[in-house]
Amino acid sequence: MLNRKVFTKIGTVAYYTSREIIKSKVLVNTVLIGIGLLIVTYIAMSFTYGEPSRVALDFGLGMLTISSVSIAVFMGVSLLSDEMKNRTVYIIISRPVPRFAFVFGKIIGLALILLINILILSTITLSLYFYIGGNFEPLINWTILYITLESLIMLVLVCLFSLITSKVLSVILSIVIYIIGHSIDGVKLLTLVQTNPTLESILDIYHYILPGFYKLNLKQHLLYKQDIAFEYLLSTSIYGIGYCLALVFLTAWIFEKKNLD
Amino acid sequence: MLEFNKITKKFNSDLFTQSFVALEDVSFKVEPGKIVGFLGANGAGKTTSLKIAMDFIRPTSGTVTFDKNLGTRNIDIFNNIGFLPERPFFYPHLKGREFCHFMGKLSDLTKNEINEKISFWAPRFKIDFALDREINTYSKGMLQRVGFLVTLIHSPKFIILDEPLSGLDPIGRKELKDIIVEVNKLGKTVFFSSHIVSDVEEVCDNVIFLKDGKLYYEGSVDKIIEDNIRPIANICFRKNGIFEIIKISNELKNQKIKELLNNNCEIVSVNSDKPTLEEIIYNVK
Repeated sequence: MLNRKVFTKIGTVAYYTSREIIKSKVLVNTVLIGIGLLIVTYIAMSFTYGEPSRVALDFGLGMLTISSVSIAVFMGVSLLSDEMKNRTVYIIISRPVPRFAFVFGKIIGLALILLINILILSTITLSLYFYIGGNFEPLINWTILYITLESLIMLVLVCLFSLITSKVLSVILSIVIYIIGHSIDGVKLLTLVQTNPTLESILDIYHYILPGFYKLNLKQHLLYKQDIAFEYLLSTSIYGIGYCLALVFLTAWIFEKKNLD
Repeated sequence: MLEFNKITKKFNSDLFTQSFVALEDVSFKVEPGKIVGFLGANGAGKTTSLKIAMDFIRPTSGTVTFDKNLGTRNIDIFNNIGFLPERPFFYPHLKGREFCHFMGKLSDLTKNEINEKISFWAPRFKIDFALDREINTYSKGMLQRVGFLVTLIHSPKFIILDEPLSGLDPIGRKELKDIIVEVNKLGKTVFFSSHIVSDVEEVCDNVIFLKDGKLYYEGSVDKIIEDNIRPIANICFRKNGIFEIIKISNELKNQKIKELLNNNCEIVSVNSDKPTLEEIIYNVK
């Protein structure tokens, strides 16, 4: 099923997808966010005593998360659905291109844009952080890696929803899952949940199905210099990558079975 | 080249409404080497049939088979098919040339092969002047031309076109019809849907006609016209330098000609009253 030709086709679809997005000037937003980040950080630093570099890092990583997740959700929702709506999908899959290769290519194409966005904004953030006097910490790399994983999961999640429901509902569902995914560990600590075994079981089931984004949030640990075991970082990375791949395969499977009418 | 065998397609909008039958027990064959027109009013099931042929949607029942010359695996079959969808819409920010390279690469062509094909076809489609512009600056006709170009870029053996002539001006239609005839002369089979009957009559050898999701006619254009010839003769004659045409039933034709000759009229021509394909199609109830 997967031979060299198929990989070439995935690469071709990915290349032209990212080229089309770059030409649509989406990355201008990234540059604007970058400039905004510099201005906001400069202003925030003026009101801060003691740890201005931490403020710069906090703002930078926050902006990085918001912009990456926004690009993933708002561009991801159109990635496959617009192909079907505009019938561009017909002209591509009427070629010797397996449907799954088309899905992989489209997702990789947008993922490349996400990576460029993350690269630009993290370069600005870290440059500012080191310029102000911040010290290098290995957890910075892990935090950026996890933001990348989080936005990739959101990208594939919204693509998957867009195949089975409308664009508006896909965006709403994805954002709801994002919020729940970040707050679920806090919710589990509530007395209401801990005293209610049924509710606790429901939340446990959630863990097996929907993404636990809270696991990928290292910002607090980084800002308060908390140590994290390497085993945790490794297992969470495997979880994030595995979850993302599972979603990609599920999306490709749904697209494979879907009537493109 | 393509065979539909008892294809039925039903669409279910939701659980509570009755399913809509778009195609019912439709069987037909597209013979190799021919230009075959696919006729039917809007909603007759032409586009649904083409989507089923291209595996975009699956039939409720029935099978679609392709000629073994196209290949046995789906991937080989699709490498030998050129498909142009109805009202094509391409990536707006790509240039026409980039889009041609995109499609060529998906059909396993090398960069040089793609450039050769572009040099060959772009002037014929009169789109070469616009290939270095972004597609969002193209008119509807230009989109159709670039769509046609990428349909032919990988030299397919079988070309399927969904309403290829819609949205084009009369000159554009004539040019594309000439290209359809030209690619057919190169040995390629062309199957195209249209609701412009005169275009189909002009270029097609065979015609498949759908009505309300059912096959109404399959066969040669000449045969359907012959079968519908009315028993009326058109006699064109000249009297005192003035041309006149009269319509008369076939039984009275000879008697009328004698009368005209006796009245010193010159018979210019006598033709049976052949309907056009358009008239036949419009008269289908």
